[in-house]
Amino acid sequence: MSNLKPTNRKAELLLDAVAEGHVAEVLAMENVAGCATTFDPGWEVDPFGGVASLCQPMEADLYGCSDPCWWPAQVPDTMNTYPDWDAGKPSAPADWRNLDSVFPKK
Amino acid sequence: MPTATRPTDAARARLARIVLGACGAVLLASGAAQAGEAKADLLVTGAKPDRLFLIDAASRSVHAEYRVAGAAGQIFTILISPDERTAYLLVDRMERIVGVDLETGRETFRADLSTPGERVKDFFAMALSPDGRELVAYELPTLLKPSEYLVEEPRFAVFRTDAGLAAKAVRSFRAPRRIAMLLARPNGKSFYAIGFDLYEYDLRTGKLLGTRGIQQWNVPEHAQPDLLAFWPVTEPTGIFTSPVYTEVKQGGQSTPTTALMSLDLKSGELAYHDFEPLSALIFSTVLSPDRKHAYGVYTTLSSIDVRNHRLEKRVPLDHTFYDVNVSSDGREIYLGGTNCDVAFYDAASLSKKAILKLPGCGDQTLSTLRVIHRP
Repeated sequence: MSNLKPTNRKAELLLDAVAEGHVAEVLAMENVAGCATTFDPGWEVDPFGGVASLCQPMEADLYGCSDPCWWPAQVPDTMNTYPDWDAGKPSAPADWRNLDSVFPKK
Repeated sequence: MPTATRPTDAARARLARIVLGACGAVLLASGAAQAGEAKADLLVTGAKPDRLFLIDAASRSVHAEYRVAGAAGQIFTILISPDERTAYLLVDRMERIVGVDLETGRETFRADLSTPGERVKDFFAMALSPDGRELVAYELPTLLKPSEYLVEEPRFAVFRTDAGLAAKAVRSFRAPRRIAMLLARPNGKSFYAIGFDLYEYDLRTGKLLGTRGIQQWNVPEHAQPDLLAFWPVTEPTGIFTSPVYTEVKQGGQSTPTTALMSLDLKSGELAYHDFEPLSALIFSTVLSPDRKHAYGVYTTLSSIDVRNHRLEKRVPLDHTFYDVNVSSDGREIYLGGTNCDVAFYDAASLSKKAILKLPGCGDQTLSTLRVIHRP
């Protein structure tokens, strides 16, 4: 926290609360409050530093990673926010062209 | 009201298209298990968006296809009751567990984990007591307050499997975080929870009976290991196995290494044995009936000599498969997960014998591939 500076009032209040011991311990959001069952940053590199040992082809892995929100930055949150993203598209190899981008609801 | 449907005979005939991988020939078959076979293997798997398949392994055909109402996109973990008549499925984006009669497709059990104001997810982990009367779910609850989410403590919730379609937990107790798999012990008194470490809990009281290290495993000259445990396959031996990744530090050098973890549910024995310097990824493994070999799958299929702790053979696959199982006689390996094909490989040579494309070609993704038996 020493290297972080608040940029708005809420953050300043948070710092005050931390200093006063009023903030509960930070809990990992494993329970998918949004979509982050893991902290994987997204499409990975393999243990050898390349991509050859990742799932082949990528479509074999697409739903296996989006269903449990393994790629929270790259695919929509089908756990909670966009549950119909893959509706009518049961096969990633056949249907990937029809998987659309999503945008936050206003 | 039944919420799963069995296909018509005509539909089943259409569904039973077999693609033989070796020669590309396409056959049509009835899909029914051949009469007179003793203890034929049936495979159980799920596929998008809501399909539960029973596959006759001998004829490489679909034995039954059920639509699971409310699956909402995917069937995740699959548990099989001790009498092999009911499959318990984690569905509805990990918020519902249903029981499906495997003979009729009728829904016999349903537990909705979430309630208004509290969203509850079960991240893969659930287990059945050995008598089939109780099901333990790992619940990750979040209170949905007007202006914030409040993360609550995780818990184990125990349901009676005869509670019907509005099952409520009969008891619950506090659980650790980061659990991805539960495995019931055959003594009926306790169950394992696998996460960063291996925990054992009393099934009745929820008392923590013991903790053994996985991430904190204290194996000399070995770095902290990494483990991916989503598929609770323990048939046919009653032993759960999984690849474990670590680094062996010797002589100033560090060598990425793959080990095989084995957990005997009956005896409680937990063992780790290195079997190769890391050369390929493996997602999941299964132990052969004679306990001499473990078969691991991902983008390759590997055979591991369990007694001598060495890699025996490895072959490339057509594409990545997540999970693996083995025939009851040990002669064939079954591959599932990811896309819509279930593959059959020879256990001795690791040669491809057949591929079955599931009707509708929905992705299996992370669904568990189970083996049950029918006369």
